[in-house]
Amino acid sequence: MATLQVQRPGLWEVSSRVIVYAAIGAALYGVLGLFSFLLPGTQNVTVRPAFAIVTFFGYSFGPIVGLFTGLVGNAIIDQLTGYGLLTAWNWSIANGLVGLIAGVLGAGTLANLGGSKIVGSAVVAAVAVVIGFLFVVTDIWVFGNSLETVITASYVPVVIADVLAGVILTPILVAAWEPLRESLGR
Amino acid sequence: MIVAPRYLARGSWLARRDPRVPLVVGVCAAATVIQVWDARIVLGLLVLALLYYRTAAIPWRAVRRQWIFALAFVSFLVLVNTFLTGGEIGGLDPRTFRPLFRIPGLGTTIYAETVAYGATQLLRFVTFVAVGFPIAYAIAPADLGVALARLGLPDRFAVGIDLTFRFVPSLAADFQETIDAQRIRGYDWERGRRNPIARLRQATPLIVPLTMRAIVGAEDTIDAMDLRAFGTGRRTWLRELRFDPLDRLVVGLAVAILVAVTVVGFAGYARLWVPPFLLG
Repeated sequence: MATLQVQRPGLWEVSSRVIVYAAIGAALYGVLGLFSFLLPGTQNVTVRPAFAIVTFFGYSFGPIVGLFTGLVGNAIIDQLTGYGLLTAWNWSIANGLVGLIAGVLGAGTLANLGGSKIVGSAVVAAVAVVIGFLFVVTDIWVFGNSLETVITASYVPVVIADVLAGVILTPILVAAWEPLRESLGR
Repeated sequence: MIVAPRYLARGSWLARRDPRVPLVVGVCAAATVIQVWDARIVLGLLVLALLYYRTAAIPWRAVRRQWIFALAFVSFLVLVNTFLTGGEIGGLDPRTFRPLFRIPGLGTTIYAETVAYGATQLLRFVTFVAVGFPIAYAIAPADLGVALARLGLPDRFAVGIDLTFRFVPSLAADFQETIDAQRIRGYDWERGRRNPIARLRQATPLIVPLTMRAIVGAEDTIDAMDLRAFGTGRRTWLRELRFDPLDRLVVGLAVAILVAVTVVGFAGYARLWVPPFLLG
């Protein structure tokens, strides 16, 4: 008897669906990323609500989509604001790493922490931001900053801002997407 | 709302070059500048970078804000770096530094080496920016995907970038529509809430509908790509790219400078240089 094997796409498979979702994620991050606000009481900590797009796309669509959304989305923001997509290339890679890590963790047990995707996505977003942005330590070689400057002026501010955005908005996006995903049969 | 890359250098000498040229020059410049801490060499590179920038003929009025922001940002970083580290410079022994003065209140001693380091850091960053801006303004947005593909980036990734740039204007229009629709319902993003969590939650009525609409709408693009058997064979691009002799000259110069600076760096001549007047 002939049998039909149905395989779920692999985590690292680059299909047309992955490419389109990645491009949508990067374009959304690029457009929405132009809006931010200063964290009250700070001088240089701007919160970008759109950062949650990176963790959400990584969590929901996998590491390739997450990587592309963060990497290209951040480069697009730099390109749209006029600084050129390669000027802060290491920051784009850091954004991409956050999406990648969110994608990898989103496929693991952490994604359903406590049996809830809402809690799981918030935890995944926070962990991905904290680990992914460690890459900005490359500012030491790229811009010649000291480790103290990287930590106090770059890493800590960006982690505070993006953990806030990720933890609050990623679960909201996941909660909106899950019923839609089921109705679309994805 | 119009959100699209601004092709400000249209018609300029640099914009007439192959779109791969600004990208290759950008990568070479980043790899070159990163190796140098001798302000005299960085100054030479900065002069070359500014000459290159001029070939893009980017109108000053259109980019004044970007330049001011970039300079303010890097000045802030240099100041924090100089004052926070108190003279710690990678690879150099602070005990050999020559003190210039002490900052009242902070107690941080400023050394001749720290000042030279900060000034070089500033010059390096301006060089980065002078080469980075033409990537934003001198490459036609529609050429970016093919340029990256022809530089060896995987086709699927290059298509993704191409698609991203094509999605940006339509998503920006959808975003404006979403803002207008929510405003009719009394929504105001600008409403002055200081609580950052409340402000983030305030973004929900914009981000959620826009994102969901974009994902659902993506199905049409996916179907169109699948129907055309995307990814089943080698991809060709409608736009043909070909280096002309001038393109080769510019790329050759950028590569030659990178090689020369790398050799100079290995020979130990690219280390921090402190101007004699700072040493008294």
